[in-house]
Parts: sequence; structure tokens; C-alpha cells
Amino acid sequence: MSAGSEVVQLPHAEESHVAQPHGDQGMNTALLGMMLFIGSEVMFFAGLFAAYFNARAAADQWPPAGLEDVVHLNPIVIIATVILIISSFTMQWGVWRIRKGDRTGLNRAVGVTLLLGIVFLAMQAYDYFLLVSEESFGINSGIYGTLFYTLTGFHGAHVFGGVIGLLVVFGRGIAGQFSARHHIAVEAVSAYWHFVDVVWIALFIVLYILH
Amino acid sequence: MAVLLVGLLTLIAGCAPAGAEGQAFPGFFAPPAASAEGQAIDSLYFYVFLIAVAVFLTVEGLLLWIVFRYRRRPRVDGLPPQTHGHNLLEIVWTAIPAAIVTMLFVATIDTLAFVEELDPKPQGVIIDVVGFQWQWTFNYPEEGLSFTGAGAEGPVMAVPVGERVRIRLEATDVIHSFYVPMFRYKLDVVPGRVNEFDIVVEEPGTYTGQCAEFCGLLHAEMYFTVEAMSRADYDAWVTEQQQQPEPTPGGSPPPDAATVEVTSVGVVEGYEPSELSVPADTPWLVDLTNSDQFAPHDFAIRGGNPDGSDWQGDPNADPGQQVIYEPPPLAAGQYEFYCSLHPNMVGTLRVGE
Amino acid sequence: MATTTLAPRARPYTSTRARAYEWLTTTDHKKIGVMYMASAFLFFLIGGVYALLIRAELAVPGIQFLEFETYNQLFTLHGTVMIFLFVMPMWTGLANYIVPLQVGAADMAFPRINALSYWMIPVAGLMLFSGYAFGGAANAGWTGYAPLSVRENIGIDLWVGSLVLLGTSSILGAINFIATIFKMRAPGLTLMRMPLFVWNTLVTSVLLLFAVPVLTAGFVMLFIDRNYGGGFFDPALGGNPILWQHIFWFFGHPEVYILILPAFGVVSEILPVFSRKPLFGYKAFVFATASIGALGFSVWAHHMFATGAVYLPFFSFFTFLIAVPTGIKFFNWLATMWGGQLRLSTPMLFAIGFIALFLIGGLDGAFLAVVPFDFHVHDTYWVVSHIHYVLVAGAVFGIFAALYYWWPKITGRMLDERLGKVQWVLLFVGTNVAFFPQHILGLDGMIRRIIDYAPNPGWTELNFLSTIGAFMVGISMLPFMWNVFITQRKPATAGDDPWDANTLEWATTSPPPTYNFEALPPVRSERPLFDLKYGAVEPHAAAVPAARGESHEETRADAPEEFLGEPVEGHEDPDVPGARTTPQVSEHAPDATPREERPKREGGDPAPPTEGRS
Repeated sequence: MSAGSEVVQLPHAEESHVAQPHGDQGMNTALLGMMLFIGSEVMFFAGLFAAYFNARAAADQWPPAGLEDVVHLNPIVIIATVILIISSFTMQWGVWRIRKGDRTGLNRAVGVTLLLGIVFLAMQAYDYFLLVSEESFGINSGIYGTLFYTLTGFHGAHVFGGVIGLLVVFGRGIAGQFSARHHIAVEAVSAYWHFVDVVWIALFIVLYILH
Repeated sequence: MAVLLVGLLTLIAGCAPAGAEGQAFPGFFAPPAASAEGQAIDSLYFYVFLIAVAVFLTVEGLLLWIVFRYRRRPRVDGLPPQTHGHNLLEIVWTAIPAAIVTMLFVATIDTLAFVEELDPKPQGVIIDVVGFQWQWTFNYPEEGLSFTGAGAEGPVMAVPVGERVRIRLEATDVIHSFYVPMFRYKLDVVPGRVNEFDIVVEEPGTYTGQCAEFCGLLHAEMYFTVEAMSRADYDAWVTEQQQQPEPTPGGSPPPDAATVEVTSVGVVEGYEPSELSVPADTPWLVDLTNSDQFAPHDFAIRGGNPDGSDWQGDPNADPGQQVIYEPPPLAAGQYEFYCSLHPNMVGTLRVGE
Repeated sequence: MATTTLAPRARPYTSTRARAYEWLTTTDHKKIGVMYMASAFLFFLIGGVYALLIRAELAVPGIQFLEFETYNQLFTLHGTVMIFLFVMPMWTGLANYIVPLQVGAADMAFPRINALSYWMIPVAGLMLFSGYAFGGAANAGWTGYAPLSVRENIGIDLWVGSLVLLGTSSILGAINFIATIFKMRAPGLTLMRMPLFVWNTLVTSVLLLFAVPVLTAGFVMLFIDRNYGGGFFDPALGGNPILWQHIFWFFGHPEVYILILPAFGVVSEILPVFSRKPLFGYKAFVFATASIGALGFSVWAHHMFATGAVYLPFFSFFTFLIAVPTGIKFFNWLATMWGGQLRLSTPMLFAIGFIALFLIGGLDGAFLAVVPFDFHVHDTYWVVSHIHYVLVAGAVFGIFAALYYWWPKITGRMLDERLGKVQWVLLFVGTNVAFFPQHILGLDGMIRRIIDYAPNPGWTELNFLSTIGAFMVGISMLPFMWNVFITQRKPATAGDDPWDANTLEWATTSPPPTYNFEALPPVRSERPLFDLKYGAVEPHAAAVPAARGESHEETRADAPEEFLGEPVEGHEDPDVPGARTTPQVSEHAPDATPREERPKREGGDPAPPTEGRS
């Protein structure tokens, strides 16, 4: 004790308090980081959705005249949606496998998820190709085109990011780096993949069903 | 220290003797507003100002006193009493500010309703204001008048005093803001949106207005003037303006005159082409096509008049319009041509080469 | 003191090249914090020179030496640089240095992401200024209102890129701070015992996390409108110019609190130390901070009263409400000083200056919530005065208070008190002379962002006065820089705890060792070090070796390497007890020990593992 010779009674100093470290409770730090990142991503898409509803509320007619049937439910979109939803389930299946220590099961599940993600991206690219070539509907086709391509395009970019994450997890899974106890990377990528899926469902409802 | 300094500044600012031209040096209380709405805002401001000064003096006074009273003195040992908080005090100094701001909010809403009141069926003068980089156009749709102008005064808007005037605002390019300090009011001028407000000007006079929303290069020079006058003067002004002949574009050019074609593309892009050649000392014509979809442009020549002053083409070419100007014959040499509305749009004119 | 034994300071890097390599590749939160602060100060000087150019141009009516375009670029970059490249990185840097120390951690939760966040700053700065090389820097104001910003020069694309980069840096930083604060606190350091600076950093981080992505979305829209024919802000294509303002201010108002809340935190740290009293109403401060943060998201449109496109009473009401928690803070600060023994050292003077001047900024803000009055002074020099009373009298005073306060901790050397007081006087007087006359100019209708103004009565005098004040603020930086220069040449004799302070960062050496703590005192209140020094608690029976103590177990167990792809998973060391007997004193040593296999604590006994006892 160096400073202060005098002992002061400090009623607030709870002598009996049990020290509790915080690291062993609740969520893993890395997973918490991913959840916070997803929180910020939710706000990013919230900004884009706000632009969508702002434009839609201000328009006399929605979709704008001449573009009523450009964006509609077609087999490509429906199949792509089903694929993305299935991929969320395969991803979760992989998480469950590795929690039980089943590395092969994890690798299979991640492999399937990865494939489904790539197929989704390919179908989205094909859908863009059809819209541009057959309907002449581009990002500069008024606010409707701008919103459609911005919303779906940024979702696609996030799917692409998820695919990269899946690739890393897949590679590490093949290398046998995950175990029942240590598979935070799998949990984190899985959380991100579910988020991407949920954003697509919201987009699908707003752009295709409620239009 | 803060109190002293601020008090000193207040004194300097508020009580200094009247400045030049009989107008007072500005202080915390500007000369009375010229509009009914502005006067309502002034009286609201007065009460808010009083409250703010009271809060300011209380807090700064307390702070100074505490710093003086509880500064550490030599040869004081031991710790001061270790107080951690006081719930009653917390409640008090939560409740007092809450009460003050509630009061202010009620007063705000009250004045706001008066200021923002819109006549559902405007019966008086209606003025359509169009803002564009960096000028104003004032249209009087019922009287068939239209004014556009630049410079330190800008175009003049005449309004009768004591009557409710409807002003409708729209922009063609970027956001501007219609602001007359003496009316204590501004409203943004937004492309794709019509903003409107009613105003009752009480005092006859000339009031300067200015664009208040940053709108690009020459934002600082986007002035206009409001002339408030009695109803009789206003009627006379309208008649006088209506009798002025409409300027006829182009005039009657000599059929054999050399014609150069030039397109004004935009405020940023300038003219296309930016270099023109004409023969020396012969009559010639400028065929200006304005392809800018937002702003009007014209054609002026630096030193183009025989007396050495700038020659300016009249009228402006509105967006999409074509205008033929007839500048005077020029001596051989190199000149600069520009748009008198947007002095950054310049080009080179070669004469007699 | 038993708990602050000096660690032998390792100096593994001897050559200049090796030391440069060490700094360029470091993941140590303290080095990263110092780099943040150094870059921020550099940008402060640049932004300050811009401010002086602006004020010199405005000293008298007429256009003196600048051109319209140059002037527009100047004030755009002045705002952008001061907000995004000075105040934000400065606070991030300080928090980077101080927060892990104050929570008793060895580093941030994600050290490598922390380094990534920092290195985005110089890149973004270069990008912003590179506009000059490509035909003109950004010139649409720091608010970049569309559609003007859609139509202006290439500099805006670079401005957008730069700010998206800075935003990403801030988001990653925010995640890092939140994870650090929630997961890495020392034993006993409950949420309601955290130092106020940590609390304010937490709230700031939450604001950043939710506000910045919205701005990023706005920048994406702006970029698409500018480069790909998008129609977000173009009414001719069905877009809405007002949308930009909604998005910008949804970010922009929380941004104001992002800039000022850390200053509240700093003042709340300094006042108790220099009054030798605990903070008055700790809980009230925490709740006030949280509610300011929450209200920050509900008032954005008070920047848009004059657009004619927002529901005025709603935003007016919430804006007024913010005065309540701010008032609570002011009164609690005064009560903290009341009855104390005030040592008027430089940090304390800056804290008092903050209270005295920020009050003016706050009262200006209350005026602006009065919607009809806002119609009058919106976009005039009144608003310029308000923002500068908030950001110069607020953030800058807070920053210098923090620098003077923590300088001995960061460098081991005390800054000269006399020069510090000279700077304080110059800054205090300069701020008032520069910004107070602007109230009157605003009331008289002088609008902002203009290179030239009419020679109305009084305007010349008031503008000239303001210019004099601005130059005083500029000159006040000279004693500071001289102070830093001469202090660095002195020996590091400040000691661990020169201010007789309260919080954990003062319980280690100055500067702290790489791993921060040899041992931690027990934490039983928000003033653990005070409790220890004044006998309210006993130190741990034996010094808890931090590297093996409970707190740092979690540090290493949660090492981010795992997340970043370091192959720790699947490589567990089976010989766990053996691994634990040879503790590694390194903040980067990954602890692969599975939690289940660690020695169980019995009955919540805070005692360290047995080998820690002696």
C-alpha cells in the first residue's frame, strides 16, 4: 500500500461479492463478433429497404407504368428461392453433425451447401441476363430498375461472400480442423448463411409477392 | 471567465451604437421582423432566449462558484466526504429540465401552427418561384409576369403588404432554399416537389433574400430581392410590368451574316465546342442551342462592346431552347465568351484568322 | 504497491528497421491506439489549416484569394476531415489504448481486426485527398446533399469510397469494442462498475454499429446514381432527393453523439479524480448516456425542418427530450465537484472548460429544436456556431483533457503543466472569440457555405473577430506540440499513478507492458484502485499473475485466431495440466485448453489457480 494512510469506510464496496469472470458465460467471443456484424448488415439492408418503400410510397403506380410485368414470379426465381432455403437446412445439418463430432457429415453438408450457393448465384446471373436481354430492364430503367438491381445485387454480393466463407470452412473441414468442441468458424459462417437466406426471403416477399 | 467573456461579447454585440446608414449593429435582437409570421417567431425567440440566459447564468455561475469555493487549498489532508449520489436531487434535476422543455415544446407547437398555416383556397397573389443554379425565376401566373435575374440584387419579387401571399417553390436541378432573413423564414426549394407557404408582409420595404442551401459553385451569389408595397403601388407595378414589350429573340439578322453554332451543354460541362472562329469586322450571328435540361444559359463576350465593356446576349435560352444572338462586329484578336448566368462556363472566340 | 510490480521491459527490437516493422505489423492495442491518435492529429492539423484558409477568406467582405470552386472544396474537406479523420479516429485511438486497460484485459477481443481497422484510415485519407490529383476534391459539403452530389465532380466518387472505407473501419472497431467490453472484463468488474469512459465507448460503439451501415447504404445509392444511371435521388426517374437527407441524418445525428459521448466519458473520468470524490450519481450517468444514445436515433429529421417534408412536432419533441439526460449529466458533474478538493491541473481545466463551453452548444441546440426559430437560423452561421460549440468546445476540449490526463500513462512522462495552461487559455478564449460572434451573424441572416458576404452593418467586424479567434485556436496548438516535443526528451519519471486516480489503467506501469498487467487488484466498486489505495479492499493474498489469473484465461481462450482461420481447432494438446504449469506470458498465445477440462473453481472462489499462491 503506497498512498493514503487513512482507511475510509466505503459502503458501496461490496466486500462479499463473488468475482465472476465473464468469458466463460454466454456466447463465444468470435460468435458474438459475427452476431454484431450481422446486426450491422441488417441495418445496411434496412437502409436499402427504406429506399424501396420510400420510392414505392411516393409513386402513383407500382411497379411504374410500362414495367408492370417485368419482374414477376418465374420458374427461375422460384427454384432459386427453394435452393437457397434448402441450403440453409443443409448448413444447419452440418452444424449439428460437427457438434456431435462427425467430421465427414460436416464436410458433406458444407459441400452440398456450397454447391447450392453457387447454383443460386448462377441462376441469379441468368435471371439478370434474361431481364437485360429480353426485357431491356436495366439498373438505369428508372427507380424501379435501380431498386431491383441494387437490392438483389447486394444480396447476391452477400451470397458470394457467404460462398467464400463456405469455401474456407469446407477446406478446413477437409483438413480435419474441426471437432465437437472447436468449430466456431462453422457456427459463424452458418449464422451468416442463415442471415443471407432470411434477407432473400424478405426480398422475395417484397419484390415478387407484394408487387 | 466564460460569463465575463460572453457578457462582454453580448455588450459589444447588442448595445453598440448604430452603424453606418442608420442601421443598427446586429445583436441578439434583430430589428423587428417584416412579416406577421416573423414577428410571431421573434416573440417566441424572446422567451426562449430568456430561458436560455437563465439556464446559462445558473450553470456557469454554479460552476464558477464551485471551482472557486472547492479549489484545493494547501495543507488540507485527508479525503473530502465521499458522496455517491442523492436520489431526490436526481429526480429534481430530471424534472426541472423536463418541465422546461415541455413548456418550450407547447410554445413551439403553438407558434408553428400559426407560421405554417396554409389557406386552403389562396385568394391573394400567387407567386411561383423556380430555383436553379444559381438564379431565381419569379412567375406571377395570374398576372402573366415572369422575372429572372442575377447579381447582387437578383430578380425582384413585388408583394402587396397586409395580404396573404402564396409562394410556391420548385427547383429544376438541385436543392435550394428560399430565405428572407427579415421574414425569419426559409423553405427548401426541392426538385420534383412543390413546397408552398403563405406569408403576410406587414412592413413596406426592400428585403434581401438569398439561397440558403448549398447548391454548388456560385451558391454565394444566388440573391433575390423582395419589394413589399401598398396594394395601390402593387397594382401600378403590375400594370407597368405588363406594358413592357416582350423581348423578341434574335431580331432580324442580315441574311448573309456568318453564323456560328454553339451548344450549351451544362453548368459543369460548359459549351460545345469551346472554341469558335468568326471573321473580323463583319456582322455575325451566334446560334445557341441550350441542351442543358436544367438551367438556362446565354452568350456573352468579354470586352465585346466597342467601348470595351462586356457584350451580353439577350434573352436567355431556356432548357431545350434555341436562341440567335447578334453580337457587334469584332476587331481581330482572341476573346473569351461566357455565360453571364454561370461565369464558370467559358470558351475562346478567335476573330479574323 | 504490491500489485504493480514492474515487469522487466523487453526490448526485442533494436534497429530502426526492426522497430518500424514492429509498428507496421503490430496487433497490440496500445501501439494501434497510438497510431490512431498520431494519424488523427495529423489530419487535425490539415483540417485546421483548411479552417484557417476559410476564415482568412471570410475576414472581410469580397473575394480575397480563393476561388469559388477552391472554397467549396475547402469547406467540404474541412468538415469531412475533422469529423471522420480527426475526431472519430482520435476517440477510437484513445479507446483502443484505454478501454482494454480499464477493463483489465490484455488486449482487444480481435487484435488483428483491430489492426485492419486502423490501416483503413490512412488509405481512406489518401483516397479523400487524391481528388485533387483527379480533377478536384469533393465539393458538395460534408453532408453531400443529393442531387447536387450526384452532379458534381469525380472528387465525390473518391469521397464516397473514402467514407465507405472509414465506415467499415468504424463498424469493425465497434464490434471489437463491444466484444472486448462484454467478454474480457476482469473478475468483479460488473457492468455497473465499469468506468464511465468504458460505458460511453460501449454506447458509442452501439451507435456506430447501427448508424454507419445505413450511411453505407446511402453511399451505395449515391454511387449508383452517379455512375450507373440509377434514379434513387432523381425525381425525373421516380426517385426522391429528400431520401438522401433521411438516410444521411439517420446516420448523422447518432454521429454527433458518436463524436461527443466519449468526451462525456472523459470528463466523467477526470472530475472524480481531480475532485478526490466518487462520481456523483454513477447510475444516473449510465442511464443518461444510454438514453442519449437511444434518443439519437429518433431525432434525425430535426436537420430537415426546412425541407417541408417531415412531420415537425414529432422530431421537435424528441429533440427537446435530449435536453433532459444532458441536463442530468451537467448537474451530476457539478455535484461531483461540489464539496471536493479540486486540483486545477491541465486535464481538470480542460474538463471544466468542456462543461463551461459545451453548455453553450447545448443551449444552441435547444434553440434549434424550436421549429419556427429553426426556420430562421437553419443553414445560417447560427448552426455553424452550434456545431463548433459542440465539436470544438465539446469534442476538442474532451480530446485535450484526455490527452493531458492519459499522456503519463501512454508515455511515462508528464506533459508540462505551464505550457498546458497556456494552451488552455488560448483555446478557451480563441473558441469563444471565433464562434460566439457567429451566433449574431446567423441571427442577422448570414448563411453558411458562402465565399463572400454582403458588407452589412457589423458583418465585417464580427467576421473579422471570428477570424482572429480561429487563428487563436490555431496558435493554441503550438504550445501543445512544443510541450510534446520537450516532454519526449525528458526521462520517463511519471510513475504508475501520477494523478492519484481510481481506475485499473493506473494499476499497471506507465507505459504498460505488452500484456498490460502483472497483476490486478480486486474489483469491488467502480474505483478499484481507489479502494485499494485507501484501504477499502485488501490486495489479493498474492499477486495474481495476470497471464495465469482468471481474467486472462478468458483472454486467451477467446483468442480470435481461431475465428480468423488459424489452425488451432483440431489440434488440442492432450497434456492439459502440463500445459498449464508453464504459463506463457504473451497476449497472443492461443489457449487450446477446452473449457470443460480447466480446473473448476470451487463455490465461486475468486482465488487464482493453486500455483499462483505462495
